[in-house]
Amino acid sequence: MEHGFTWFSLLPFIANNPERQLIFTTIFVAAILCIISIKILFSIKKSPNPLIPKEKFCFQNFFELIIQATINIMKDIIGPHAEKYLPLIGSLFVFIFFCNLLGLIPGFLPPTSNLYTNGACAIIVFLYYNYQGFKEHGIKYLKHFAGPLIYLAPLMFVIEVISHLFRPFSLMVRLYGNISGDHAVLAIFSSLVPLIVPVVFLILGLMVALIQAFVFATLSTVYIGLAVSHE
Amino acid sequence: MKKWKMLLVVIGVMLLVCSSVLAEEGGTAAAEGSLAKGLIGLGAGLAIGLAAFGGGLGQGRAAGSSLEGIARNPGASDKMFVPYILGLAFIESLVLYAFVIAFLLRTKM
Repeated sequence: MEHGFTWFSLLPFIANNPERQLIFTTIFVAAILCIISIKILFSIKKSPNPLIPKEKFCFQNFFELIIQATINIMKDIIGPHAEKYLPLIGSLFVFIFFCNLLGLIPGFLPPTSNLYTNGACAIIVFLYYNYQGFKEHGIKYLKHFAGPLIYLAPLMFVIEVISHLFRPFSLMVRLYGNISGDHAVLAIFSSLVPLIVPVVFLILGLMVALIQAFVFATLSTVYIGLAVSHE
Repeated sequence: MKKWKMLLVVIGVMLLVCSSVLAEEGGTAAAEGSLAKGLIGLGAGLAIGLAAFGGGLGQGRAAGSSLEGIARNPGASDKMFVPYILGLAFIESLVLYAFVIAFLLRTKM
């Protein structure tokens, strides 16, 4: 989608190249997250007893809140072994949430409003849950594809493979459609009525950013849970 | 404290002004008279309109029955939250496929 002006178009070597701007924006978000996590790591190392939460609201409390909520939801879905899968799901949630939030700042395109970033995340999820399935069940993981009856297996196998291949595609398109649609609505309304009214859509954008990151992480959790479950 | 409030107000005003300056110009130039372009536009509009119609009905049913469930048993609302959001996301993704197709059609105009 055409975007009027972005702050990154001021940089000389990526000025007229949307793909490079996209890569730069993604790296920007990742760098912010790295800086925040290094800062939190040092503050945890410095504090005498890290189990006691900080008095003021700071980044550490914020991320503890997010991680705790993520673990609770994952335990509801996968079961007691859910913490094994926390690194991927938690970082996906935080990364996508911050990417979506970047779109609310005027002059930034959210990195998730195109198919490339989302496709990368979705393909990683696809490879990861299949890998975990094979790791958990060995070669018996292929039984998940075969269906309940042995003589229906050839038919079921094709259908299951297609439905599995469709999962990363639907993850990708869902995130892309929501975020770019939300961005387009914000752009159109702020060109119609520049004052006051866009605030409503900024609040809507905040909700969409949170809910879409949540949905992406939860669906990845559901896929992992289906792959590793003993049924 | 006063400094912080002033800073917040200034940032808010800056954001408002920025968003009005940066906002895109609505509407592209009118398609130049050919029937094919008109049909493509019609197709794109019909696609997203019909998809929004069906998706609205589906999400309305889902939200209505979940509210009914919460009204009967308010304690269940925590457990219903995740499946409810997931169900809405699945319904919504069908609408978004239509949105993407309408968007692709728009770029062909």
